[in-house]
Amino acid sequence: MIKKILFVTKFEELGFDAIKSLLSLRESGLEHIVFMYVIEREKVAMRRGIGYQKDEEIRLKEAANIRFIDWAERLFEIGMEVGVYIQVGGMAAEVVKAARKEEADLVVIGRSGKSSLEQFYSGSTVTELIRRLPVPTLVYKPVPENPFAFGKPFQRPLLATDWSPASRKAVDYLIGMKPLIEEVRVVHVIDENAIEGPTVMDAQKARKDAKAKMEEICGRFEAAGIDARSHVYVGAPAEGVEKAARECLATMVALGSSSKNRWVERWIGSVPQEIAEKSAYPTLLIPPDRK
Amino acid sequence: MGKKVLVVDDDPDVRLFNTTVVEENGHTPIEAANGEEALQMIRSEAPDLVILDVLMPRQSGIRLYRQLKTDASMKDIKVMVLSGINKKSFLKSQQALSEFGGGDVPEPEIYLEKPVDADVLAATIRKAIG
Repeated sequence: MIKKILFVTKFEELGFDAIKSLLSLRESGLEHIVFMYVIEREKVAMRRGIGYQKDEEIRLKEAANIRFIDWAERLFEIGMEVGVYIQVGGMAAEVVKAARKEEADLVVIGRSGKSSLEQFYSGSTVTELIRRLPVPTLVYKPVPENPFAFGKPFQRPLLATDWSPASRKAVDYLIGMKPLIEEVRVVHVIDENAIEGPTVMDAQKARKDAKAKMEEICGRFEAAGIDARSHVYVGAPAEGVEKAARECLATMVALGSSSKNRWVERWIGSVPQEIAEKSAYPTLLIPPDRK
Repeated sequence: MGKKVLVVDDDPDVRLFNTTVVEENGHTPIEAANGEEALQMIRSEAPDLVILDVLMPRQSGIRLYRQLKTDASMKDIKVMVLSGINKKSFLKSQQALSEFGGGDVPEPEIYLEKPVDADVLAATIRKAIG
């Protein structure tokens, strides 16, 4: 159940339209939205001849405050509880701190506009967050790219599974969101390299094995009263998931987030990160249980 | 003799401004940074006046106000709402919460919208508690 959301925005990528679509979560118990704006330290850092830019900090804080007051008034008026954080610091560290303090059930962030190269040098906030947050993260995407995914993100989720512990946890999580879900599509993407065997039989066997495991997952959804269908795709995982989401008219992609360490992800990337950053669909990342 | 005034605001600069005005008017300020902290202080300190912000982390002023006004032991404590949230939205929110089955609460005794001049704040405190 999602009772409290931490909504992290830089304003240009995540606005009140995203909040409105998340209000569908009220059917599943949502009652509290906490807004957060992080002024990244370099924007107000000490500069030679200027010193710490206090005036700039105040200007940015007030600009954020004005926006949040406007959003908060609209939510208060419909009986929602609203909170706010405007902090100076590192994005990922401040978000993790606020999520813990507020005991948020879901963190919503926008997709960063950074290119791959910039991410490589500065570190991706999304990667850092999914690595450190103990709760699911929804990476929200703007509307024009995908009109289907707007309105009720939990209506038709596409669950991308790789059989990992986090993927299994994602199944439980979606079952818990039953009141919001109309149908779940379960997809597994078989890596082309993995089916390069000596015979056609090997490829068919890989498909059949994956299908059997997915039918088991669909059975769990159906036992909980949620319609579910499974699909097997072949190709690069992120591309396969995107194609499946498009063909299934999914409203969101849900997947377990990787537990690879930061340096591995920095160098070779991870599928959840790639989908979170590049997919046109809102992406729900469910972390594995932390030991 | 001075009275006890609880200043509730998440912004330390605003708390400093408000507590200074309270002190200059001969009263004793105490402080809280959010609704949860404030509720504990109200129970332990029994202030004569609460100057209450609305939009705060952990618990908003809207929920705190509701708790105060529906609790027999706290409902007579005077509340001055001092917020960037407009009064209309505050009242609508209380109305919405009442419709969800929370029971009616009275309007706040005093409602000031930020920013407020020190003179206006001082005069309003004097009017409320002397």
